[in-house]
Amino acid sequence: MLLDSLKSAVLLMLSFDRELVEIVLVSLNVSLWSTLFASVIGLPAGFFIAFYRFRAKRLVMTCLNTLLALPTVVIGLVVYSLITKRGVLGPLDLLYTQKAIIIGQIILIVPVITSLTIAAISKIDKRYRSTALTLGANTRQMSWVIFREARFGITAAIIAAFGRVIAEVGISMMLGGNAKGFTRTMTTAMALEYDKGEFVLAVALGIVLMAFAFTINLVFHFLQGRLNSDAV
Amino acid sequence: MLYELTDLTKQFKDRQVLDIDALCLKRKKVYALIGPNGAGKTTLLNQLALLEKPTSGSLTFLGRDPWGVGNSLLELRRKVVLVDQSPILFSGTVRKNVEYGLQVRRIPKDERDRRVAHCLHLVGMDDFINQDVHGLSGGEVKRVALARALAIEPEVLLCDEPTANVDEKHQEVILRIIEEVNQNQRTTIIFSTHFLSQSRRLADQTIILRNGRISSYRETKNSFMARVVESDSVQTVVSLSDSYQFSLPPGVITRDDRDEIVHFQIDPNELAIGDVSMVPEQGKTINHGVVKRIASEQDRVRITVDIGISIDVLLDNTSYRASSPLVGDRVALAIPSGAVTLKED
Repeated sequence: MLLDSLKSAVLLMLSFDRELVEIVLVSLNVSLWSTLFASVIGLPAGFFIAFYRFRAKRLVMTCLNTLLALPTVVIGLVVYSLITKRGVLGPLDLLYTQKAIIIGQIILIVPVITSLTIAAISKIDKRYRSTALTLGANTRQMSWVIFREARFGITAAIIAAFGRVIAEVGISMMLGGNAKGFTRTMTTAMALEYDKGEFVLAVALGIVLMAFAFTINLVFHFLQGRLNSDAV
Repeated sequence: MLYELTDLTKQFKDRQVLDIDALCLKRKKVYALIGPNGAGKTTLLNQLALLEKPTSGSLTFLGRDPWGVGNSLLELRRKVVLVDQSPILFSGTVRKNVEYGLQVRRIPKDERDRRVAHCLHLVGMDDFINQDVHGLSGGEVKRVALARALAIEPEVLLCDEPTANVDEKHQEVILRIIEEVNQNQRTTIIFSTHFLSQSRRLADQTIILRNGRISSYRETKNSFMARVVESDSVQTVVSLSDSYQFSLPPGVITRDDRDEIVHFQIDPNELAIGDVSMVPEQGKTINHGVVKRIASEQDRVRITVDIGISIDVLLDNTSYRASSPLVGDRVALAIPSGAVTLKED
């Protein structure tokens, strides 16, 4: 049965099935936007936490580590309670839209990007900071030097976050509602097809998902090689 | 005054690494910091580079408090540059590194290109300009770091053990550059070293640090270590190296010190310069050399004469006008016996 499904799935992919393409595009759309917004929040936050000394630093790090293990259904529930008709953000009418999925996914991966950015920045030799300063850099220019030197770790953080959101199912299901053509992502579609006992589309989407994961890792390793050869 | 440090301390957690009662450093001079590991040399350099705020006490640079009200820290810090003992280069090419300090100062590209080429030429790294810094040797990294610092044309160049981990040939290159930068651009140089020979060669003054405190502070120009070759009633010949000997006045060394190493200092105020035909008087010795540098110092003129080693002569304006030597002139340097003092260390 698996082999038959696999064969049919490959044919479905080769024919660029409209439904399949639509689902993949929705997945990419929400994942890319959530990764982008989460990066805008997580990268500066990670840099600040790694770079500056402040009283509650250890507490903030502990909270971040805890948030890394936050189940997607918990995020789904919290965001649902906010955007449901009777919720604080109810008037915005976000429930069962791609925006709702994006909000949930941002909450999911901000801790991932922040934590990995902290790790990447902390690893950077302290001499980069003093060298930039003694050469006349102001705080912004010095921060850019650190960011530049930590770019491999930061790229890894963004890629890890993207991998996390493209493969998650809880938030997309609870906040998106799995509406065909609107909020149906690869993972929610696979869950639905499994429920229906229709494996062909599920297997095809599984292959696409695996192909994404493989491509991302391939690009990552390519970048790693390039960036490592840049390092001193 | 360039720097004035008063009751300055620097503490890391419970450990006090610097405790300086008073230290004044003048413009355009070369200072050497000497001391054992952990004496506080690097910490003092970081303070002078305005990279770290003192724990207590005061530090003024060009008469201003860098951490005071008005926030002049960046402006003042841009007049100073520190080259680390183990410098780190930013990833990218040699060019990118050397022009970094110029880019952050928004220097136009033409001027940047000129300075990058000039400074890389100075350190003998012209051929590496477009090379990725990955793969440079330790000595090459050090030379690029020096070029990167020089490109800024700082008022003060701070070097933390500039010749550490560098082969002998390139040690000489680095020392020569430091010497030239001070002489040609009148840049103040403050460097730490473990080598007395380097401080004697380059520094006007040597500051000896022990346990974070200044244990002594002395003039090192015209201060030499040499082996006695010959010592009699007519003259004293000493050797600074296998290939270079010079004469001191008779009577400086009274003991039979042949082959002994002696440390002596020549008072620049007691020396005289004259025509090459100058005849030695009683109690004086004459060495011939070339004028390398002439600099005005308040009411005096400092003339550096190369007689195989560099010797500084301080003349009052009248004496200077009488002899009027020019850079490159061949002159006679008269050393009276009273100008030479034997040191006991």
